[in-house]
Amino acid sequence: MNPGARRWGERPPERVEQRIVIEADGTVVARSGKVEYGQGIRTGFAKIVAEELAVPFERVRVELGETDRVPWDMGTFGSMSTSVDGKSLRAAATYARNLLVERASAHFGKAASELSVRNGCVFAADGRAVSYQELTAQAPLTGLVTEGSASPAPAGSVEDKPLRLEASDIVTGKARYAADVRLPGMLRGHVLQPPFQGAKLVRVNDETAGQVPGVTKVVKDGDFVGIVAERDEQALTAVRLLDAEWAPGEAAKMQPIDLMLRKDEGVEAAFATAAIRLDARYHVPHIAHASIGPNASVADVGDDGADLYVATQRPFALRDMVAGMFQLPPDQVRIHPQVMGGMYGRGNAGDSAIEAARLSRAVGRPVLVQWTREEEFRLSPCRPTLDAELRAGLDENGVLIGWRYDVRTNFHTYDASATLPPGVLEMTSGRNAVPPYRLGSAEVQLHVELAALRTGAYRSLAAAPNVFAIESFLDELAFASRQDPIAFRLRMIEDPRLRHVLDTVRDRSGWNSRPRDRGRGFGAACAIYHGTYIAEVAEVRVSADGLVRLERAWAAVDPGRLVHPDGARNQIESGIQQAASWTLLEELKHRDGEVTTTTWREYPIATVHDAPSEIDVVFTGRLDAPSTGVGEPGSVAAAGAIANAVFEATGIRVRRLPLTPANVMAAR
Amino acid sequence: MRFRLKVNGEAREADVPLGTTLLGVLRDDLGLTAARYGCGHGACGACYVLMDGKAIAACMTRVEEAPGKNITTVEGLAKDGHLHPVQHAFIEEDAMQCGYCISGMLISSAALLSETPHPSDAQIRKALAPHLCRCGVYLRAVRAVKRAAQ
Repeated sequence: MNPGARRWGERPPERVEQRIVIEADGTVVARSGKVEYGQGIRTGFAKIVAEELAVPFERVRVELGETDRVPWDMGTFGSMSTSVDGKSLRAAATYARNLLVERASAHFGKAASELSVRNGCVFAADGRAVSYQELTAQAPLTGLVTEGSASPAPAGSVEDKPLRLEASDIVTGKARYAADVRLPGMLRGHVLQPPFQGAKLVRVNDETAGQVPGVTKVVKDGDFVGIVAERDEQALTAVRLLDAEWAPGEAAKMQPIDLMLRKDEGVEAAFATAAIRLDARYHVPHIAHASIGPNASVADVGDDGADLYVATQRPFALRDMVAGMFQLPPDQVRIHPQVMGGMYGRGNAGDSAIEAARLSRAVGRPVLVQWTREEEFRLSPCRPTLDAELRAGLDENGVLIGWRYDVRTNFHTYDASATLPPGVLEMTSGRNAVPPYRLGSAEVQLHVELAALRTGAYRSLAAAPNVFAIESFLDELAFASRQDPIAFRLRMIEDPRLRHVLDTVRDRSGWNSRPRDRGRGFGAACAIYHGTYIAEVAEVRVSADGLVRLERAWAAVDPGRLVHPDGARNQIESGIQQAASWTLLEELKHRDGEVTTTTWREYPIATVHDAPSEIDVVFTGRLDAPSTGVGEPGSVAAAGAIANAVFEATGIRVRRLPLTPANVMAAR
Repeated sequence: MRFRLKVNGEAREADVPLGTTLLGVLRDDLGLTAARYGCGHGACGACYVLMDGKAIAACMTRVEEAPGKNITTVEGLAKDGHLHPVQHAFIEEDAMQCGYCISGMLISSAALLSETPHPSDAQIRKALAPHLCRCGVYLRAVRAVKRAAQ
């Protein structure tokens, strides 16, 4: 089976034993190729399986991303774990329950319809009970999971209280991140990094570096030069003493790729007859993932293959990458996901895992590589830029009749090539470029080009930048036609679920009775992201010199059937908090492809002082609607809401992020 | 060089080069990995530990400054099998996502509460300010410290 041959999102039929195993002590093992990096998916999966199998939550053990045990998976991104893998787990757990009831039916000599399940047992009407482990002691569960076996929604509401399976390990220091792994005989490594993307090594002198105490080996393999040492600081000292000369590599060249995402008839005619026509340009700069824990991996490469203890969003892709590099069969590379620091898209690249594997193979011992903060800023993939040109026409009633969105960005995937499978660029670099409104005659064009910096996946991909530009521009249209921004949006929305989140956030935020003080403003924005509906309102204060402070935020979210309400709330809150940081503070600067903001001082992110006084989150999803994701949606609408609030507070429309005092004052 | 340290109430020894950071000694020689590397400049708060009750950046502290001081890491916050109130409160509020920054937040919260048992919101924010949290659980962390103070 060649996993790479599969199409995006395609899933083969699954067997129940790949997903659910009942152990001898009654523990229910649930398996998924997804990984946990703080988004709470382990807890969510445990809740789903516990619910369907009627076992206490604590009895479920969730195994994630261990490539030799779990079903193949493309990766953990796109807020799809609950909607896609959660669905598979729910189907497998339901299927397992039906098998258990069938077996109990034979055991009791009673019809299945007379049996019930609770607390890990099947009960007969006369009170007799048989446990799941008894029912599986002779023969483990097996069978092809059939479609459509998901259970109906439970009656009543889902329990809403804080709960995280990893919480106790995190607060006691027992949680093991990749950088915390300590294997017998383990050494430390650092690699000589190019000063900019594509640089070629001309020569390197390692004489001084090799003499640093503790250095075990200088590993040289073409452009790859690394130091292995007893201690981390020794390896780092030595790598800094490498005397290297670099030359610009063959600059990667590629014609921009132009894609038409929507082209209606009559766009020009609509502009020609419009009562109001507006044009604007928006810019979003590169930003860094800025995970607090820099990329780290331990590799142990030996005769029986490779074991990698890592943080990754794509365990199977990493497995195949390492297998390809060492020409090993994929099953001889075992990926062991550790407790992971926040990823936000960062964990799609191999980076330290590849370096650790190469160094470990060279020295025949386990090697831990953790990037420095500077490497993390300088070399890790960043979010692409966005340059959008917008034009819209309104008729004399203030109704949108013509729309053009022409957007230029970079690759939001890690494969920056023109040979990506069809549809991938539209789904990634073009994500949320077509807004959920009645636009009249519309044209949406996407141009994808290489950036001077290495770009890659970043929370919500192009959605957050696109929604910032589009929702800001909609506010410009509302203002130009003297309409309330939320009422203007509602006039163009047919989808009742999107209408409902906008209505709800308007009420929760007190929008209609909001204060209109100078320097204080409210702004709204909304989006549909991978099936999740979200509307947000931001309240800001702007000082006379352009300093923006987010005071409060409100979100109304419809992700269908909630699995873990407080976990979902945590995700939405933090999505807003992180996006507020991007919006108000962040820009990864570079000179000719060489990143110049390489410390926290040069690249500040939000601290607790920047946090608003309140983030109010309300869910409007129905129990009978399929569950959709919540990891990214909170971050998608925030920039638009904040920029619109800045406009209400100051009358200044800032069309360039971040909304720093300098950019606000420059837009006056 | 051999250094005698007192960490989490126990006498410990480390044989490391002069100038090694306290963070390196804790993580690589004493097996205490709750304090974590984030930047090496004392600018992110991931490596905080208590030194004689004060929250400090272990990545900016050399091992030779440590002898004679009481060092406490998150592994030593619980006493007699009971979690410290801030540990409880962070669980109760689910004031975490990935958790990488949480050790540092717990250390600064514990230091704050030992000096100021009933801190104001502003005092809590000031204590947590050195700790960058990219996931963005700041409001939950503030609530957790408030809960722990009760």
